[in-house]
Amino acid sequence: MTHPARTLDLPPAYRLRAHDALPSTNDEARRLVRAQDAGHGTLVWAQEQTAGRGRRGRSWTSPRGNLYVTAVLRPNCGIGEAAQLGFAAALALVDVLGDLMPQQTQVRLKWPNDVLVNGRKVAGILLETVVDSDGTFQALLLGLGVNIAEAPSDTAFPATALQWERAGRAIRPEELLAPWAEHFLVWTNRWEQDGFAPLRRRWLTHAHRPGQRLRVRLPNREVHGSFHDMDDRGGLLIDTNRGRERLSVGDVFFAEPGAAPGSGQG
Amino acid sequence: MADDQSHDFGFDEELVRRLSHLLKETDLSEIEYETGGHRIRVARQINVQATAPAAPAQPAPAGGEPASAPKPGPEATAEQVPPGAVTSPMVGTVYVGPDPNSAPFVQVGDQVSEGQTLLIIEAMKVMNPMPAPRAGTVTQIMISDGQPVEFGEPLLVLE
Repeated sequence: MTHPARTLDLPPAYRLRAHDALPSTNDEARRLVRAQDAGHGTLVWAQEQTAGRGRRGRSWTSPRGNLYVTAVLRPNCGIGEAAQLGFAAALALVDVLGDLMPQQTQVRLKWPNDVLVNGRKVAGILLETVVDSDGTFQALLLGLGVNIAEAPSDTAFPATALQWERAGRAIRPEELLAPWAEHFLVWTNRWEQDGFAPLRRRWLTHAHRPGQRLRVRLPNREVHGSFHDMDDRGGLLIDTNRGRERLSVGDVFFAEPGAAPGSGQG
Repeated sequence: MADDQSHDFGFDEELVRRLSHLLKETDLSEIEYETGGHRIRVARQINVQATAPAAPAQPAPAGGEPASAPKPGPEATAEQVPPGAVTSPMVGTVYVGPDPNSAPFVQVGDQVSEGQTLLIIEAMKVMNPMPAPRAGTVTQIMISDGQPVEFGEPLLVLE
């Protein structure tokens, strides 16, 4: 059987490392960086992950039929700015889904870079750095998981799969990977030339409305408030009853309409 | 707003002493006192390891007498970084283990090798595993899981 990678037409900026199965594409990418075998633009792709993971060690359900890819990025900047590439990856997927999904499909972003289809999470991005023992920033690993054929049913935020949101024949992972890589390249080039501002503008057209009630789960507390803005470095600005807070970590949930306004922090 | 150490901030030894007493009396780990734009913070490590004497506040002058043993109990800190401390390279949230249910990467007393992951700092949703800058023994851990950390804040001591 021909491996799908054979027929994949990627921009020359990328170098594809295709696998049938891996424990985790981010782990394999880290191994390659450590072995000095992964330049900027390396894509580690697997048909399935046996130990796929999300943020904070949460498992990422990774059966065949979904997309699991990690991009190795070596941007010419510090870690703080490199984090903005997560937005480029999410925006690229929004572009692709605009072409791929039926016209009435609602494609939205949830801060910072979760992609929602018809209100349910369809993709997640896991960003990890590789830092040398002397503190040198080596690479950013951008793991992208897209639920195409399957999605878990037991997640804190409801999940869905692309196939469940559209009629027609099954989408193969490579049909998503190639256009995503194209769009991601466009957004990263844009970011290199013009900075974060154009990404932020585009993000705001697909994300929260000012005033929308959000609940953000932080490692040791919860913040309730209304969405104010995303700042020029990607931080979430939220108005709480204690004033405005800028968040750079946390899981966003949409507060139920009946929830008490400004109920403070847990 | 950084702790001000400018020249016009006269060092009030008596105040530090009083706050130190208060710390011991109340069994608190930290008191911060602000007045007229001046801020002073007095803190102590409650879980100081008996095996790891804290470093003296000032380096001993060359050729001078050996540094005396540190006074037990409270110690005035103006964001001092103890020798051997591994400091945070960024503003973020620190995690002591790979996930909330796993054992921490390192514990006090552990021998670590250079490059071994000590902690993870999350900033802007990016997970940054912090490698040990050198081999050594972890003698002190200053942070707790899920705590926000500032740039330059001491995380743990590696001796």
